[in-house]
Amino acid sequence: MSRDVSDFYRSLAADVDGRPLDGPGELRRRTDRRARVRAAGGVFLVALLVAGAATGTRLVLAADQGTVGPPAGPPVPTVIAPSPSPSTVTPSTVTPSRATPSSATSSPKATPTGRPSATSSGTHDPRTPRSIPDRAFFTQPASTMAAEPTFQQGGEVLPDFCGADLDGRVVQTRSRVLTYHLTPDQPEGTVPYGTYRNSISIHRPGRADDWMADLRRAVRECPEQETVPGRSDRHRLLPGGDFGDEAVLIEVREPAWEAGEPAEGEVLRLIRVIRIGDVVTVLWEMGWEGTSSDRRQVDDYSRRAERAISNWLD
Amino acid sequence: MRDADSFDDFYRSTSRRMLRYGYAVAGDYTEAQDLVQEAYARAWRQWGQMSVHPAPEAWLRLVVARLATDRWRRLHGWRAALVRSGPPEVVQPPGEDGVLLLDALRQLPAAQRQALALHYLVDLSVEEIAREMQVPVGTVKSWLSRGRVRLAALLPGVSAEELEANDVA
Repeated sequence: MSRDVSDFYRSLAADVDGRPLDGPGELRRRTDRRARVRAAGGVFLVALLVAGAATGTRLVLAADQGTVGPPAGPPVPTVIAPSPSPSTVTPSTVTPSRATPSSATSSPKATPTGRPSATSSGTHDPRTPRSIPDRAFFTQPASTMAAEPTFQQGGEVLPDFCGADLDGRVVQTRSRVLTYHLTPDQPEGTVPYGTYRNSISIHRPGRADDWMADLRRAVRECPEQETVPGRSDRHRLLPGGDFGDEAVLIEVREPAWEAGEPAEGEVLRLIRVIRIGDVVTVLWEMGWEGTSSDRRQVDDYSRRAERAISNWLD
Repeated sequence: MRDADSFDDFYRSTSRRMLRYGYAVAGDYTEAQDLVQEAYARAWRQWGQMSVHPAPEAWLRLVVARLATDRWRRLHGWRAALVRSGPPEVVQPPGEDGVLLLDALRQLPAAQRQALALHYLVDLSVEEIAREMQVPVGTVKSWLSRGRVRLAALLPGVSAEELEANDVA
Protein backbone atom coordinates (compact mmCIF):
# COMPACT_ATOMS: atom_id res chain seq x y z
CA MET A 1 0.00 0.00 0.00
CA SER A 2 1.32 3.40 -0.95
CA ARG A 3 1.95 5.83 1.86
CA ASP A 4 2.33 9.58 2.03
CA VAL A 5 5.05 11.71 3.58
CA SER A 6 2.45 13.26 5.86
CA ASP A 7 1.90 9.85 7.51
CA PHE A 8 5.51 9.87 8.66
CA TYR A 9 5.21 13.42 9.98
CA ARG A 10 2.10 12.40 11.91
CA SER A 11 4.08 9.60 13.54
CA LEU A 12 6.85 11.99 14.41
CA ALA A 13 4.34 14.41 15.97
CA ALA A 14 2.82 11.57 17.98
CA ASP A 15 6.28 10.69 19.33
CA VAL A 16 6.75 14.23 20.54
CA ASP A 17 3.29 14.53 22.03
CA GLY A 18 4.05 11.59 24.28
CA ARG A 19 6.99 13.46 25.79
CA PRO A 20 5.89 16.97 26.72
CA LEU A 21 8.16 19.69 28.06
CA ASP A 22 8.24 20.91 31.62
CA GLY A 23 5.54 23.37 32.58
CA PRO A 24 5.96 27.10 31.99
CA GLY A 25 6.44 27.87 35.67
CA GLU A 26 9.41 25.53 35.89
CA LEU A 27 10.91 27.08 32.76
CA ARG A 28 10.49 30.61 34.14
CA ARG A 29 12.06 29.68 37.46
CA ARG A 30 14.98 27.95 35.76
CA THR A 31 15.55 30.90 33.45
CA ASP A 32 15.47 33.42 36.30
CA ARG A 33 17.72 31.23 38.42
CA ARG A 34 20.21 31.01 35.57
CA ALA A 35 20.26 34.79 35.27
CA ARG A 36 20.88 35.14 39.00
CA VAL A 37 23.72 32.61 38.92
CA ARG A 38 25.35 34.49 36.07
CA ALA A 39 24.99 37.76 37.93
CA ALA A 40 26.53 36.32 41.09
CA GLY A 41 29.38 34.75 39.13
CA GLY A 42 30.12 38.05 37.42
CA VAL A 43 30.23 39.95 40.69
CA PHE A 44 32.65 37.39 42.07
CA LEU A 45 34.85 37.76 38.98
CA VAL A 46 34.89 41.55 39.25
CA ALA A 47 35.73 41.33 42.94
CA LEU A 48 38.51 38.87 42.15
CA LEU A 49 39.96 41.15 39.49
CA VAL A 50 39.80 44.18 41.78
CA ALA A 51 41.38 42.20 44.60
CA GLY A 52 44.08 40.93 42.26
CA ALA A 53 44.82 44.41 40.97
CA ALA A 54 44.94 45.76 44.51
CA THR A 55 47.31 42.99 45.57
CA GLY A 56 49.52 43.64 42.56
CA THR A 57 49.64 47.33 43.27
CA ARG A 58 50.58 46.64 46.87
CA LEU A 59 53.44 44.41 45.83
CA VAL A 60 54.78 46.97 43.41
CA LEU A 61 54.56 49.83 45.84
CA ALA A 62 55.72 47.70 48.78
CA ALA A 63 53.29 49.56 50.94
CA ASP A 64 51.01 48.10 53.57
CA GLN A 65 47.45 48.55 52.30
CA GLY A 66 45.82 46.23 54.81
CA THR A 67 44.13 42.94 54.03
CA VAL A 68 42.10 42.47 50.91
CA GLY A 69 38.42 42.14 51.78
CA PRO A 70 36.27 39.20 50.81
CA PRO A 71 34.49 39.17 47.47
CA ALA A 72 31.28 41.15 47.32
CA GLY A 73 28.30 39.26 48.65
CA PRO A 74 24.93 39.88 47.05
CA PRO A 75 24.77 40.39 43.30
CA VAL A 76 23.93 44.06 43.37
CA PRO A 77 24.59 46.26 40.38
CA THR A 78 27.83 48.14 40.68
CA VAL A 79 28.72 51.48 39.25
CA ILE A 80 32.09 52.13 37.70
CA ALA A 81 32.98 55.59 38.85
CA PRO A 82 34.54 58.02 36.41
CA SER A 83 38.26 57.93 36.88
CA PRO A 84 39.46 61.06 38.69
CA SER A 85 42.86 60.94 37.11
CA PRO A 86 44.20 59.48 33.88
CA SER A 87 47.12 58.01 35.80
CA THR A 88 44.88 55.90 38.03
CA VAL A 89 45.73 52.24 37.51
CA THR A 90 43.23 50.35 39.58
CA PRO A 91 39.63 50.51 38.42
CA SER A 92 37.38 51.60 41.22
CA THR A 93 33.93 50.28 41.80
CA VAL A 94 31.34 51.58 44.18
CA THR A 95 27.99 50.33 45.23
CA PRO A 96 25.02 52.21 43.81
CA SER A 97 24.32 55.50 45.43
CA ARG A 98 21.57 57.93 44.78
CA ALA A 99 23.04 60.71 42.72
CA THR A 100 21.94 63.95 44.21
CA PRO A 101 19.92 65.91 41.70
CA SER A 102 21.03 69.44 41.30
CA SER A 103 18.95 72.09 42.91
CA ALA A 104 17.43 74.95 41.02
CA THR A 105 20.10 77.29 42.30
CA SER A 106 23.16 75.15 41.78
CA SER A 107 22.67 73.53 38.42
CA PRO A 108 23.77 75.13 35.20
CA LYS A 109 20.69 76.10 33.30
CA ALA A 110 20.04 75.24 29.72
CA THR A 111 17.32 77.86 29.67
CA PRO A 112 16.33 80.54 32.17
CA THR A 113 14.01 79.41 34.94
CA GLY A 114 10.58 80.87 35.48
CA ARG A 115 7.70 80.67 33.12
CA PRO A 116 7.87 77.97 30.51
CA SER A 117 9.23 79.36 27.31
CA ALA A 118 7.43 79.33 24.00
CA THR A 119 7.74 76.33 21.74
CA SER A 120 10.02 76.57 18.79
CA SER A 121 7.07 75.97 16.52
CA GLY A 122 4.52 78.24 18.19
CA THR A 123 4.18 81.91 19.00
CA HIS A 124 2.67 81.69 22.48
CA ASP A 125 3.39 79.93 25.73
CA PRO A 126 1.83 76.51 25.97
CA ARG A 127 -0.53 76.03 28.88
CA THR A 128 0.28 73.64 31.71
CA PRO A 129 -2.07 70.68 31.23
CA ARG A 130 -3.70 68.71 34.00
CA SER A 131 -3.93 65.35 32.33
CA ILE A 132 -2.45 63.53 29.34
CA PRO A 133 -4.98 62.43 26.73
CA ASP A 134 -4.32 59.83 24.05
CA ARG A 135 -4.05 62.54 21.41
CA ALA A 136 -0.95 63.90 23.12
CA PHE A 137 0.86 60.86 21.74
CA PHE A 138 1.90 60.89 18.13
CA THR A 139 0.56 58.48 15.55
CA GLN A 140 3.05 56.02 14.11
CA PRO A 141 3.26 55.82 10.32
CA ALA A 142 1.09 52.86 9.36
CA SER A 143 3.66 51.59 6.87
CA THR A 144 6.28 50.98 9.57
CA MET A 145 4.06 50.08 12.52
CA ALA A 146 4.73 46.46 13.53
CA ALA A 147 2.02 46.29 16.21
CA GLU A 148 -0.59 48.55 17.76
CA PRO A 149 0.89 50.75 20.49
CA THR A 150 0.13 49.53 23.98
CA PHE A 151 -0.18 51.79 26.99
CA GLN A 152 1.53 50.59 30.13
CA GLN A 153 1.03 51.21 33.80
CA GLY A 154 4.27 52.03 35.56
CA GLY A 155 7.58 50.92 34.16
CA GLU A 156 10.74 52.90 33.72
CA VAL A 157 10.66 55.79 31.26
CA LEU A 158 14.44 56.23 31.30
CA PRO A 159 17.42 54.07 32.16
CA ASP A 160 18.61 54.20 35.75
CA PHE A 161 21.55 56.58 35.46
CA CYS A 162 23.51 55.42 38.49
CA GLY A 163 20.49 55.81 40.70
CA ALA A 164 19.81 59.47 39.92
CA ASP A 165 16.45 60.54 41.35
CA LEU A 166 14.65 62.34 38.55
CA ASP A 167 11.03 61.80 39.51
CA GLY A 168 10.52 64.39 42.24
CA ARG A 169 8.95 67.16 40.20
CA VAL A 170 6.77 65.05 37.93
CA VAL A 171 3.01 65.51 38.36
CA GLN A 172 1.78 62.83 35.97
CA THR A 173 3.28 60.38 33.48
CA ARG A 174 1.78 58.14 30.83
CA SER A 175 3.82 55.72 28.78
CA ARG A 176 3.33 53.27 25.97
CA VAL A 177 5.32 50.77 23.94
CA LEU A 178 5.75 51.24 20.20
CA THR A 179 6.89 48.47 17.90
CA TYR A 180 8.19 49.39 14.48
CA HIS A 181 9.85 48.27 11.28
CA LEU A 182 12.65 50.29 9.78
CA THR A 183 11.57 49.43 6.24
CA PRO A 184 7.99 50.29 5.23
CA ASP A 185 5.35 47.74 4.21
CA GLN A 186 6.87 44.63 5.70
CA PRO A 187 4.84 41.39 5.41
CA GLU A 188 2.76 40.53 8.44
CA GLY A 189 4.74 38.55 10.96
CA THR A 190 8.07 40.09 10.04
CA VAL A 191 10.30 40.47 13.08
CA PRO A 192 10.25 44.14 14.15
CA TYR A 193 13.35 46.28 13.94
CA GLY A 194 12.83 47.78 17.35
CA THR A 195 10.61 49.04 20.12
CA TYR A 196 10.24 52.34 21.91
CA ARG A 197 9.25 53.21 25.41
CA ASN A 198 7.48 56.50 24.77
CA SER A 199 6.39 58.58 27.72
CA ILE A 200 4.88 62.00 28.33
CA SER A 201 5.21 63.69 31.71
CA ILE A 202 3.65 66.84 33.12
CA HIS A 203 5.96 68.71 35.47
CA ARG A 204 5.17 71.29 38.11
CA PRO A 205 4.81 74.74 36.55
CA GLY A 206 8.21 76.16 35.68
CA ARG A 207 10.17 73.12 36.88
CA ALA A 208 10.56 71.09 33.71
CA ASP A 209 13.70 72.94 32.65
CA ASP A 210 15.26 72.16 36.04
CA TRP A 211 14.44 68.54 35.44
CA MET A 212 16.13 68.67 32.05
CA ALA A 213 19.24 70.17 33.65
CA ASP A 214 19.20 67.40 36.25
CA LEU A 215 18.91 64.81 33.51
CA ARG A 216 21.93 66.21 31.70
CA ARG A 217 23.87 66.19 34.91
CA ALA A 218 22.80 62.64 35.74
CA VAL A 219 24.05 61.42 32.36
CA ARG A 220 27.32 63.33 32.64
CA GLU A 221 27.94 61.95 36.13
CA CYS A 222 27.22 58.41 35.01
CA PRO A 223 29.43 57.83 31.97
CA GLU A 224 29.56 54.12 32.63
CA GLN A 225 27.29 51.77 34.52
CA GLU A 226 27.61 48.08 35.10
CA THR A 227 24.31 46.46 34.17
CA VAL A 228 25.43 42.86 34.23
CA PRO A 229 28.57 41.97 36.16
CA GLY A 230 31.58 42.48 33.97
CA ARG A 231 29.59 44.26 31.27
CA SER A 232 28.83 47.96 31.32
CA ASP A 233 26.73 50.45 29.44
CA ARG A 234 28.39 53.72 28.42
CA HIS A 235 26.40 56.95 28.34
CA ARG A 236 27.07 60.30 26.78
CA LEU A 237 25.18 63.41 25.78
CA LEU A 238 24.90 64.33 22.11
CA PRO A 239 23.57 67.63 20.75
CA GLY A 240 19.84 67.37 21.38
CA GLY A 241 18.73 68.89 18.09
CA ASP A 242 16.13 71.54 17.36
CA PHE A 243 13.12 70.03 19.08
CA GLY A 244 10.63 71.79 21.35
CA ASP A 245 11.98 74.36 23.80
CA GLU A 246 14.99 72.20 24.43
CA ALA A 247 16.02 68.65 23.77
CA VAL A 248 18.55 66.11 24.98
CA LEU A 249 19.88 63.19 23.01
CA ILE A 250 21.45 60.44 25.07
CA GLU A 251 23.65 57.82 23.50
CA VAL A 252 23.83 54.48 25.30
CA ARG A 253 26.35 51.93 24.12
CA GLU A 254 25.52 48.47 25.40
CA PRO A 255 27.61 45.31 25.12
CA ALA A 256 26.21 43.02 22.45
CA TRP A 257 24.38 39.81 23.29
CA GLU A 258 23.64 36.95 20.99
CA ALA A 259 21.25 34.15 21.83
CA GLY A 260 21.44 35.15 25.47
CA GLU A 261 25.22 34.98 25.58
CA PRO A 262 27.73 37.85 25.71
CA ALA A 263 29.04 38.58 22.22
CA GLU A 264 31.72 40.76 20.70
CA GLY A 265 30.88 44.36 19.86
CA GLU A 266 28.19 46.65 21.13
CA VAL A 267 24.82 48.06 20.18
CA LEU A 268 23.86 51.72 20.21
CA ARG A 269 20.68 53.01 21.80
CA LEU A 270 19.41 56.56 21.40
CA ILE A 271 17.08 58.31 23.81
CA ARG A 272 15.59 61.65 22.84
CA VAL A 273 14.05 63.82 25.54
CA ILE A 274 12.08 66.89 24.44
CA ARG A 275 10.67 69.63 26.65
CA ILE A 276 7.75 71.74 25.51
CA GLY A 277 6.75 74.12 28.28
CA ASP A 278 6.01 72.04 31.37
CA VAL A 279 5.69 68.84 29.38
CA VAL A 280 8.52 66.42 28.69
CA THR A 281 8.37 63.51 26.31
CA VAL A 282 10.90 60.70 26.19
CA LEU A 283 11.53 58.46 23.19
CA TRP A 284 13.65 55.60 24.42
CA GLU A 285 14.58 53.37 21.50
CA MET A 286 15.13 49.89 22.93
CA GLY A 287 15.92 47.88 19.81
CA TRP A 288 15.04 44.28 19.17
CA GLU A 289 17.47 41.41 19.39
CA GLY A 290 20.67 43.34 18.99
CA THR A 291 19.57 46.02 16.55
CA SER A 292 21.02 49.50 16.98
CA SER A 293 19.01 52.71 16.92
CA ASP A 294 18.74 54.41 13.56
CA ARG A 295 19.35 58.15 13.93
CA ARG A 296 17.05 59.20 11.08
CA GLN A 297 14.24 57.07 12.43
CA VAL A 298 14.69 58.51 15.93
CA ASP A 299 14.65 62.03 14.50
CA ASP A 300 11.47 61.25 12.57
CA TYR A 301 9.61 59.99 15.64
CA SER A 302 10.98 62.92 17.65
CA ARG A 303 9.53 65.38 15.15
CA ARG A 304 6.18 63.59 15.23
CA ALA A 305 6.17 63.56 19.02
CA GLU A 306 6.98 67.25 19.21
CA ARG A 307 4.20 68.09 16.74
CA ALA A 308 1.58 66.01 18.56
CA ILE A 309 2.35 67.63 21.91
CA SER A 310 2.39 71.12 20.43
CA ASN A 311 -1.02 70.49 18.85
CA TRP A 312 -2.35 69.16 22.14
CA LEU A 313 -1.11 72.15 24.11
CA ASP A 314 -2.30 74.76 21.59
CA MET B 1 7.13 44.22 34.21
CA ARG B 2 6.76 40.75 32.72
CA ASP B 3 3.35 39.18 32.91
CA ALA B 4 3.83 35.55 33.94
CA ASP B 5 0.22 34.60 33.28
CA SER B 6 0.29 35.70 29.66
CA PHE B 7 3.62 33.93 29.17
CA ASP B 8 2.24 30.73 30.69
CA ASP B 9 -0.82 30.89 28.42
CA PHE B 10 1.39 31.40 25.40
CA TYR B 11 3.67 28.55 26.44
CA ARG B 12 0.81 26.11 27.02
CA SER B 13 -0.83 26.92 23.70
CA THR B 14 2.32 26.69 21.58
CA SER B 15 4.92 24.45 23.23
CA ARG B 16 3.67 21.16 21.80
CA ARG B 17 3.70 22.54 18.25
CA MET B 18 7.09 24.13 18.86
CA LEU B 19 8.57 20.88 20.12
CA ARG B 20 7.30 19.01 17.06
CA TYR B 21 8.91 21.65 14.87
CA GLY B 22 12.17 21.56 16.82
CA TYR B 23 12.24 17.76 16.62
CA ALA B 24 11.83 17.76 12.83
CA VAL B 25 14.43 20.49 12.34
CA ALA B 26 17.05 19.28 14.83
CA GLY B 27 16.51 15.55 14.27
CA ASP B 28 17.02 14.58 17.89
CA TYR B 29 14.49 14.73 20.70
CA THR B 30 16.84 15.78 23.50
CA GLU B 31 18.35 18.41 21.28
CA ALA B 32 14.92 19.64 20.25
CA GLN B 33 13.95 19.87 23.90
CA ASP B 34 17.05 21.97 24.58
CA LEU B 35 16.44 24.22 21.60
CA VAL B 36 12.81 24.83 22.37
CA GLN B 37 13.38 25.46 26.06
CA GLU B 38 16.20 27.87 25.26
CA ALA B 39 13.92 29.70 22.83
CA TYR B 40 11.18 29.99 25.45
CA ALA B 41 13.76 31.08 28.03
CA ARG B 42 14.81 33.88 25.72
CA ALA B 43 11.19 34.79 25.18
CA TRP B 44 10.62 34.96 28.94
CA ARG B 45 13.70 37.13 29.47
CA GLN B 46 12.26 39.74 27.13
CA TRP B 47 8.57 39.02 27.63
CA GLY B 48 7.85 42.71 28.21
CA GLN B 49 8.61 43.27 24.53
CA MET B 50 7.61 39.85 23.28
CA SER B 51 4.08 40.13 24.63
CA VAL B 52 3.37 42.86 22.06
CA HIS B 53 5.06 41.05 19.19
CA PRO B 54 2.66 40.59 16.27
CA ALA B 55 3.73 36.97 15.71
CA PRO B 56 5.50 35.59 18.78
CA GLU B 57 5.23 31.98 17.65
CA ALA B 58 6.97 32.78 14.35
CA TRP B 59 9.65 34.56 16.34
CA LEU B 60 10.15 31.46 18.46
CA ARG B 61 10.41 29.23 15.41
CA LEU B 62 13.02 31.57 14.01
CA VAL B 63 15.03 31.29 17.22
CA VAL B 64 14.69 27.51 17.22
CA ALA B 65 15.86 27.29 13.61
CA ARG B 66 18.82 29.57 14.28
CA LEU B 67 19.81 27.74 17.40
CA ALA B 68 19.61 24.45 15.56
CA THR B 69 22.23 25.61 13.11
CA ASP B 70 24.63 26.66 15.82
CA ARG B 71 23.45 24.64 18.72
CA TRP B 72 26.51 23.35 20.47
CA ARG B 73 28.10 26.69 21.15
CA ARG B 74 24.91 28.42 22.13
CA LEU B 75 23.32 25.73 24.22
CA HIS B 76 26.26 25.10 26.47
CA GLY B 77 24.71 27.07 29.32
CA TRP B 78 21.32 25.45 29.04
CA ARG B 79 22.84 21.97 28.91
CA ALA B 80 24.80 22.73 32.06
CA ALA B 81 21.59 23.81 33.76
CA LEU B 82 19.86 20.61 32.68
CA VAL B 83 22.75 18.54 33.99
CA ARG B 84 22.50 20.29 37.35
CA SER B 85 18.75 19.66 37.47
CA GLY B 86 19.29 15.90 37.31
CA PRO B 87 19.05 13.08 34.80
CA PRO B 88 16.25 13.13 32.23
CA GLU B 89 13.20 11.04 32.96
CA VAL B 90 12.80 7.70 31.27
CA VAL B 91 10.67 8.09 28.16
CA GLN B 92 9.19 5.72 25.66
CA PRO B 93 11.25 5.18 22.50
CA PRO B 94 10.12 6.88 19.31
CA GLY B 95 7.99 4.96 16.81
CA GLU B 96 9.52 3.27 13.81
CA ASP B 97 8.08 5.74 11.29
CA GLY B 98 9.41 8.66 13.26
CA VAL B 99 12.88 7.17 13.32
CA LEU B 100 12.76 6.50 9.58
CA LEU B 101 11.64 10.06 8.88
CA LEU B 102 14.37 11.56 11.06
CA ASP B 103 17.00 9.43 9.35
CA ALA B 104 15.74 10.64 5.99
CA LEU B 105 15.54 14.27 7.09
CA ARG B 106 19.20 14.20 8.14
CA GLN B 107 20.06 13.79 4.48
CA LEU B 108 18.21 16.96 3.48
CA PRO B 109 19.56 20.52 3.61
CA ALA B 110 18.48 22.51 6.64
CA ALA B 111 16.28 24.88 4.62
CA GLN B 112 14.33 22.00 3.12
CA ARG B 113 13.88 20.39 6.56
CA GLN B 114 12.61 23.68 7.90
CA ALA B 115 10.19 24.27 5.02
CA LEU B 116 8.83 20.73 5.20
CA ALA B 117 8.32 21.00 8.95
CA LEU B 118 6.45 24.29 8.57
CA HIS B 119 4.26 22.68 5.92
CA TYR B 120 3.52 19.32 7.54
CA LEU B 121 3.67 20.13 11.24
CA VAL B 122 2.65 23.79 11.48
CA ASP B 123 0.20 23.75 8.55
CA LEU B 124 1.56 26.92 7.02
CA SER B 125 0.80 27.75 3.39
CA VAL B 126 3.56 28.24 0.86
CA GLU B 127 3.09 32.00 1.10
CA GLU B 128 3.31 31.93 4.89
CA ILE B 129 6.44 29.81 4.78
CA ALA B 130 7.99 32.25 2.29
CA ARG B 131 7.25 35.17 4.63
CA GLU B 132 8.61 33.39 7.66
CA MET B 133 11.78 32.25 5.93
CA GLN B 134 12.09 35.54 4.07
CA VAL B 135 12.52 33.94 0.65
CA PRO B 136 10.43 34.09 -2.56
CA VAL B 137 7.41 31.82 -2.90
CA GLY B 138 9.09 30.03 -5.81
CA THR B 139 12.02 29.09 -3.61
CA VAL B 140 9.70 27.53 -1.04
CA LYS B 141 7.89 25.56 -3.73
CA SER B 142 11.22 24.31 -4.98
CA TRP B 143 12.38 23.34 -1.48
CA LEU B 144 9.14 21.50 -0.74
CA SER B 145 9.12 19.72 -4.05
CA ARG B 146 12.74 18.60 -3.88
CA GLY B 147 12.42 17.71 -0.23
CA ARG B 148 9.38 15.52 -0.83
CA VAL B 149 10.96 13.78 -3.79
CA ARG B 150 14.06 13.08 -1.72
CA LEU B 151 11.99 11.78 1.18
CA ALA B 152 10.04 9.55 -1.21
CA ALA B 153 13.29 7.99 -2.27
CA LEU B 154 14.38 7.44 1.31
CA LEU B 155 11.14 6.39 3.01
CA PRO B 156 9.59 2.96 2.45
CA GLY B 157 6.29 2.77 0.64
CA VAL B 158 6.09 6.38 -0.54
CA SER B 159 5.35 6.77 -4.22
CA ALA B 160 7.21 9.48 -6.10
CA GLU B 161 4.48 9.51 -8.76
CA GLU B 162 1.81 10.37 -6.21
CA LEU B 163 4.03 13.13 -4.88
CA GLU B 164 4.27 14.65 -8.33
CA ALA B 165 0.47 14.58 -8.62
CA ASN B 166 -0.12 16.00 -5.15
CA ASP B 167 2.83 18.32 -5.13
CA VAL B 168 2.50 21.59 -3.34
CA ALA B 169 0.94 24.14 -5.61
